[in-house]
Amino acid sequence: MDFILQNILNALQWGSFYALIALGYTLVYGVLRLINFAHGDIFMVGAYIAYAIAWFLLGPAFDLSPLMTFAIAIPLTMALTACVGVTLERIAYRPLRRKGAHRLYVVITALMCGLILEYSNLAVLGASRLKFPELVEKTIWHIGGVTITNLKVIVIFAAIAVYVFLNFIVTKTKIGMAMRGISYDKFAIPLMGIPIDAIIVFTFILGSSFAGLAGLLFAMSYPILEPFMGMIIGWKAFIAAVVGGIGDIRGAFYGGFLLGFIEVGVVTIFPSTYRDLFAFSILLIILWVKPTGLFGMPQSTKI
Amino acid sequence: MQKYTLNVLMAACAVFLLVLAHFKIIDNYIQAVIMFVGINIIMSTSLNLVNGNMGEFTCGHAAFMCMGAYVTSLLSVLCFGKNFGDPLLPQYMAMFVFPIMILAGGVVAALTSLLVAIPAFKTRDDYLAIITIAVNYMVISAIENMDFVGGSRGFQGMKNTVWAMNDTIKGPWMLFWVITFTVFTIWVIRRFITSTYGKGVNAICQDEVAAEIMSVNTNKIKLVNFMISAGLAGCAGGLFAHIIGYVNPQSFNILKSTEAMVMVYLGGMGSLSGAVLSAIVFTFLMEVLRSQSLIDFLLAPATFVFPDWEPSAGVIKWVMIPLLLVLIMQFRPEGIMGNKELSDVFPKLKKYYTFK
Amino acid sequence: MSLMKIDGLTQRFGGLQAVSEFSVEMKGGELMGLIGPNGAGKTTIFNLISGFYQPTEGTITVGDTPTAGLKPHQVTSLGVARTFQNIRLWHDMTVLDNIRIAQHYRLGYNVMDSILRGKKYREREERILEIATELLEAMSLTEVAQECPKNLPYGLQRRVEIARAMSIRPKLLLLDEPAAGLNSSDVEDLIKLVRWIHENYDISIFMIEHQMKVVTSLCQWIKVIDFGSTIAEGTAEDIQSNPAVIKAYLGDDNI
Repeated sequence: MDFILQNILNALQWGSFYALIALGYTLVYGVLRLINFAHGDIFMVGAYIAYAIAWFLLGPAFDLSPLMTFAIAIPLTMALTACVGVTLERIAYRPLRRKGAHRLYVVITALMCGLILEYSNLAVLGASRLKFPELVEKTIWHIGGVTITNLKVIVIFAAIAVYVFLNFIVTKTKIGMAMRGISYDKFAIPLMGIPIDAIIVFTFILGSSFAGLAGLLFAMSYPILEPFMGMIIGWKAFIAAVVGGIGDIRGAFYGGFLLGFIEVGVVTIFPSTYRDLFAFSILLIILWVKPTGLFGMPQSTKI
Repeated sequence: MQKYTLNVLMAACAVFLLVLAHFKIIDNYIQAVIMFVGINIIMSTSLNLVNGNMGEFTCGHAAFMCMGAYVTSLLSVLCFGKNFGDPLLPQYMAMFVFPIMILAGGVVAALTSLLVAIPAFKTRDDYLAIITIAVNYMVISAIENMDFVGGSRGFQGMKNTVWAMNDTIKGPWMLFWVITFTVFTIWVIRRFITSTYGKGVNAICQDEVAAEIMSVNTNKIKLVNFMISAGLAGCAGGLFAHIIGYVNPQSFNILKSTEAMVMVYLGGMGSLSGAVLSAIVFTFLMEVLRSQSLIDFLLAPATFVFPDWEPSAGVIKWVMIPLLLVLIMQFRPEGIMGNKELSDVFPKLKKYYTFK
Repeated sequence: MSLMKIDGLTQRFGGLQAVSEFSVEMKGGELMGLIGPNGAGKTTIFNLISGFYQPTEGTITVGDTPTAGLKPHQVTSLGVARTFQNIRLWHDMTVLDNIRIAQHYRLGYNVMDSILRGKKYREREERILEIATELLEAMSLTEVAQECPKNLPYGLQRRVEIARAMSIRPKLLLLDEPAAGLNSSDVEDLIKLVRWIHENYDISIFMIEHQMKVVTSLCQWIKVIDFGSTIAEGTAEDIQSNPAVIKAYLGDDNI
């Protein structure tokens, strides 16, 4: 029983990371119909930014306490990562969009931007892995036979909070309405007097800043940083977003947790090398049965 | 007359290259580059069939290459290698059996593509993209868990087949096979896509509903198209394995698929000559940027400012190439050729050749 | 044996009854019209006939074959061709290719033939090209054969679409609002074209149309539907004076 509970907890933590990244994918996709393949690498950049901030604030210049650093690092990481995302949008995607390039060319550009981020990081910082400093003192609670660390709680809580926040923005606010409008008809929206570029930038700010948050939390939970850390987790989060029904906030959230549960479940039963094989087979079966994902609406073709 | 010029020209080029290679006028490195150009041409033209002509977005093409590579390698080692005991076939058979083994790899890859093709009946676009990515991961992961082909350590012993061919008749055998299969690929694709049967693929791309209602059996065409595409990628995999003499599941990961995608979109969606051109350009770029001295030269200003920084060509290459591609996309968002063929861009060429 | 028989056709989308109890029988050679206000379920009936939807209830029989469970391309190969309300040509292929691809069901060769290009392939392709050229000639489209439809004026696109449907050599041609978006001279041409097709080919035509001019000058028999059910049928004169039809189109107050 404890064993199961413990694994559920682990799955929730993994699922939270997937969910946080998948939310970014789904936001951008929902608005632009663009698979932002650079998103996983924005997550990686977020982790590195968090590292730089932590190193800077803990260092001799400021010499802040770890907890204080953590409190400052959250908004700062989110803001700086958002800048990275917006820069990408501004210099790579927007010109293509203006030229009316085929959708897939924008996707390829995104893929290329991801590679640039990964490899320029590798070129500048080298292949050595960085060790993330401990910001929050690890507290371990034992409840029955289950061990809960405060980090796990923070991570899960953050994922849920972000989900609730995004759900509120998209469904309840005016800007969220505009975001949903763009996904329906990109050409009618400017005619309604809605500044389309501003909305898109806002979307990228939201998506990237939560990727930054995920990067910070990930770096705290698994304190080894390397340039390719965003690649696999990014692809997987994207798959999670699609299985949930891409473009749907709920879909990304539950899809992320679903993937987390599947992976942890597979690893508890089989050797860990089978993780990808089983996880992806299950996802494939889900997509065979429900081709538009768990929450995705079937697109009806009008004749 | 025009009907044969291109064929004659290609044959002449192939013979010329083979003769040069046979008499060691071009060294092994250049031969290897030419072989990789060939492999990349197969990869990009075959992916173009799905991503360009059919307008789907599949990003797991390396999975089929992987299947082909492993199946061919396994057969090759069984027949001529020593990993699993004595070779099953005598050495002189190698040159006859080799193409059959490559094709067998292609057939298995084509069967693997059913994993993608059957969901494609119901779903399109990004959902299909995901399925292909998932299949790519699955194939790699499955092979990593198979111990009899070495798992994640990789698999080798295919060189025996190449040596067996070489022992029977001396010559640049791999170069010969790569050129043969490249020409074979282009020939198959060109014929398929210009027949009324194959034009159904373009019809599906442009309006699937209209295609279905205008009597095109869309499911069958999709199936056939996916299988041809994957089968050819499987052949490329088999050749690749025999050039290197070693395969590792991780050499067919998403990055390899990305390379193939880049070549397709760089060349222009749905343009066969574009796919060939971009494969050539891309391979040469990869090779040129591998030279450390060139990278050092290009980055001289930066290393002057930061003398501690020692960029390695292998890493910088992967910054430069995507950067270059992003720039190309900005200036030519439809790829090198758009969806046109060479003879559409330069109509004068039509006088000299037709290629059907 | 009738050409096409629809019996008690009903289609529900969730709670919406798009078509209810629609029945019609075509013996062969008619020119029948289907009219009704917007959203009456006309196009749904066409989609049901062409196999794009499976009916909730009722049967459709083409010749002797019930179409239940058939895919659209299989229905088409029974000899039922159609056009679309908003033109759905393959816009990036030449007109000739458009016409050729629509003959897919009678290609009679497979993938291997298309790659090896033996005698069978060449014969079949020649035959298809022959049919296509003949048809283009007959529909006076020869000049635009090598153009892409997206570069053609709207009226001509309509004509290409009808030609594409005709290349199936259908026994029954379904025209979904062929006059939509055409100007008056194009409409005249269209009327002539449809009449010409009807006279020169052994074919039944079933058309949805809003423009009364087209309907009255072409159709021998007209069915009127509203909210999915048939409210009247008869010749053009009958329909124009039928109170139920006037009510459906203009509302109660105008009577």
